[in-house]
Amino acid sequence: MYTLSQRLVFIGLALAGGLLILLMRQFLNDYILSIAGFVGIYVILAVSLNITNGFTGLFSLGHPAFMAIGGYTCAILTFPVQRKGYFLSGLPDWLAGTELSFFPALLIGGLFAALGSLLIGLPVLRLRGHYLAVATLGVIIIVQVLITNMGGITRGPLGLNGLPTLTNLWWVYLWVLITLYLGWKLKFSSFGRSMLAIREDEMAADCLGINLLRTRVQALMVGAFLAGVAGGLWAHLVTAITPKSFSLILAFTIVVMVVVGGSGSITGSLLAAVIFSMLTEAFRPLEESLNVYGIGEIVLSLILILILIYRPIGLFGTSEPGWLSPGKRKSLSGTAGD
Amino acid sequence: MSGGYILQQLVNGLILGSMYALIAIGFTMIYGIIRLINFAHGDVVMIGSFMTLAFLQALGWPFYLVALAVMVGGALVGVAIERSVFRPMRGAPQVTGFIASLALSIMIQNMGILLLTAQPRNFSFPDIFQQVITLGAVSFRMVDLVIMLTAWILMIGLILLVKMTRLGVGMRATAENLEVARLMGININRTIMATFAIGGSLAATAGLMYGGKFGQIDPLLGFVPGLKSFVAAVVGGVGSIAGAICGGYIIGMAEVLFVGFLPPIYSAYRDAFVFGLLILILLFMPNGLFGKKSEDRA
Amino acid sequence: MWRKTCLSIILAVSVLAGQAQAAETIKLGALYNLTGGMSSIDAPALRGAKLKAQLLNEQGGVLGKQLEVIGYDTKTDQKAAATQAKKALSDGVVAGLGYGDTTFVMAAAPAFQAKGVPFVTSGATHPELPKWVGDYMFMAPFGDDDQSYAIADYTYKVLGARQVVVWTDNSMDFTKALSKFFKERFQELGGEIILEDFFMMGDKDFSAQIARLKNTSPKPDAVFISAIPNEAGLTVKQIRESGLDLPIVSGDGFDTELVTSVPGPELANDVYFSTHTYRGDDRPEVLNFIEEYNKAYGRDPENAFCPLGFDAVGLIADALERAGSTDGEALRDALANTKGYQAVTGEITYARPSGVPVKGVSIISVHDGKYNVEKVWYPEY
Repeated sequence: MYTLSQRLVFIGLALAGGLLILLMRQFLNDYILSIAGFVGIYVILAVSLNITNGFTGLFSLGHPAFMAIGGYTCAILTFPVQRKGYFLSGLPDWLAGTELSFFPALLIGGLFAALGSLLIGLPVLRLRGHYLAVATLGVIIIVQVLITNMGGITRGPLGLNGLPTLTNLWWVYLWVLITLYLGWKLKFSSFGRSMLAIREDEMAADCLGINLLRTRVQALMVGAFLAGVAGGLWAHLVTAITPKSFSLILAFTIVVMVVVGGSGSITGSLLAAVIFSMLTEAFRPLEESLNVYGIGEIVLSLILILILIYRPIGLFGTSEPGWLSPGKRKSLSGTAGD
Repeated sequence: MSGGYILQQLVNGLILGSMYALIAIGFTMIYGIIRLINFAHGDVVMIGSFMTLAFLQALGWPFYLVALAVMVGGALVGVAIERSVFRPMRGAPQVTGFIASLALSIMIQNMGILLLTAQPRNFSFPDIFQQVITLGAVSFRMVDLVIMLTAWILMIGLILLVKMTRLGVGMRATAENLEVARLMGININRTIMATFAIGGSLAATAGLMYGGKFGQIDPLLGFVPGLKSFVAAVVGGVGSIAGAICGGYIIGMAEVLFVGFLPPIYSAYRDAFVFGLLILILLFMPNGLFGKKSEDRA
Repeated sequence: MWRKTCLSIILAVSVLAGQAQAAETIKLGALYNLTGGMSSIDAPALRGAKLKAQLLNEQGGVLGKQLEVIGYDTKTDQKAAATQAKKALSDGVVAGLGYGDTTFVMAAAPAFQAKGVPFVTSGATHPELPKWVGDYMFMAPFGDDDQSYAIADYTYKVLGARQVVVWTDNSMDFTKALSKFFKERFQELGGEIILEDFFMMGDKDFSAQIARLKNTSPKPDAVFISAIPNEAGLTVKQIRESGLDLPIVSGDGFDTELVTSVPGPELANDVYFSTHTYRGDDRPEVLNFIEEYNKAYGRDPENAFCPLGFDAVGLIADALERAGSTDGEALRDALANTKGYQAVTGEITYARPSGVPVKGVSIISVHDGKYNVEKVWYPEY
């Protein structure tokens, strides 16, 4: 189990992160801060998708759908009462008269996303591999179409805008910590071992008495809950949310982060999320000064293909850096670098 | 609702289904051989349509030459993709190839925008293809007929190829078990390359037809048909050529019938219906209509 | 290995970025979706915007300084729209401009409003935009209500249509608003909507809707199609090929060459649409714009969003001269007092409390593949 010093390392890292945010908020401009916010949201998304995809080996593309459910729920709950009735004619009165503060709204958003994933997961998770990928891709499109056409509740294609700017770095950081903690706890718990067992050998896991469907659905729900929360954070950082906010491209981006970081490695997802979301921004000055747009995407896809060719298990494989893994010593496991 | 109306909608479904089927065949072939879901297939369709535009309109070649050149060009693109991206990845988990193909797709689309701009361009086929054929209450165009015939001819041709020729035997052996096929002296590299050449050629042909049917092309056009034919292939059972055709028709029909026979407001739910149907089919027939029972567990 | 690659890329990027910021200029932040699904609409607008800045600079710039239009690519992604708005603001732009679609304006413009920097949308036409965002929000185009009213009037009074079918792209706010205003006005005039049908952006095949249109009884006098340019040519082509010859009417989404080039001159008949006063117009501003555009980019302007981008920069430059400073508040007041600015897309005056400019709306007809300006409609206010 964890040694005392490892616990201290965790707490120390968390505090260092907090200090970093304090400094960033002091010295950096809005643009960098909003980028930092999205980096954090991507960390939540990548790590939570890793819980679903990486640990259990499910290939789900459904994250954007869960983000949309969570984001819309959260946005409707925090929407100022005085404008709500006018914008959203289809809301029942009690909902039109409710205005929640951010944290409970996020929680409810996450729970709705988890609920959605339960409804979707029970039938769909019987599918395997590619078929699951296709079915979850379908879920994204179905959710998108439904939101677009349920104008009374969602305001249709226009979406909800003018949302209060509630998301700041502290909120994002709080949820990043919760996500990392949850991911860590899960990975090194008996539930986590069940998930990894399913990924590695389904038949054997079944023989050991692991309930396959239940474990899968639970993994999907945990991931969906965090995706829903991320959707809420997203909506209140952009201050607008529309049916097209969360697309297949987003699913792709998150999957890339998980694969590049290493399926099953929390550290890997974390680093990949940070690197990728910053790289996209790094190409901007080049595009703007040369007046050619789209180079960033091309180069990133190229990098991705190269990584897939030369290091298909991702940067970290399934493992975590040795000095953070419970029950291991520094010398026992090397960090998989590049 | 008159009989003519119902008949016309059925024909509309058939025509659209043929278009999807045409794209889905190439898709399913590649999957059948190396279990790769090639998302970039739709973008090869796009490349094919721009090749047609270049040969037909800019260079003014006669139509049969254009068709030939597009098929050869598509085959070259297919081979290039296989050599540069998928061959180095062979043996990696399935997911790897799938993600690589998505990356490739994004790369091709952005290069398309960079080189060609995102403006849709008009596209005119020789007049003969635009002729309207009216049979009683039903009307369609020559190009629709050509698309349907092409899809059928290609399907029969490919099934014969796979069943009767040496290359086909190699393909089936490779699909069955790559390693064993190699041990049996089959040149795996050549077989897989040939598969990609055929797949690319089919996609480019579909691109030519696509341009002829809709009269307008742009660098992002491959995405939606790619997605739909992916669905079609899955519904039919990925890997099965006859399944891809059936899947294409099911999706095409379903789309048109949803729009045509439900109250108009549901027209906007078209894609939700298609994917809902997909999920339903998968739940009851997890391997699609014609798919073999899948051995790969997760 | 790739860490090194990344590092060298970042280095190269920062060197380039350093060079770009050498001279003292007045910066405008142009936010557009230059890649992704909206790029066919937004990329031409940025070209128009950059052209205006170039022309102004050749004549000595604005307030004695060079005007610099920085293009920010927001990738058809609202997250990018929100962050790039903040990036533009931190780069010190004195005003923002951009977008041909309301949803993106709503992701970007509030950041400008919060910082007290004016934002001029070049192509988003929802008439309530200024109300939603605030007093730093300006529109270069007319509102959807004006263009829908114009074509509804024309359909009823000139084409004599009484019973029409309405097709709406249900995936976009712009198209939904356009249909809503059209129906409102048409019914007010005494006309009747006998069928409504829907599709989604990106649909290529309209055969099912066309079969239903053919089977509608009583026979409709016209069909109103609320679509963006990508579907404009496709719908005309497919409707005409099916043998239907009823008039097709629409709004500025039909203002594209595709309406004639996709169906071909034989089928591009009896199409009428309301749009910005630009196409087929022979005012000197328009002719000059087309000539300069050809000189700069070697082709004709792709669509009406080109001159609108051009006009957005023109409006800002005009207000900058009148304000005499780059201060946000002064610039806002100068913009709000714009009267009779001679833009390529018509004269612009902000006289209404809604903040939507009072502009003429062209009604354009298409016969045998040729565009012809039928009349110019002016809103009552």
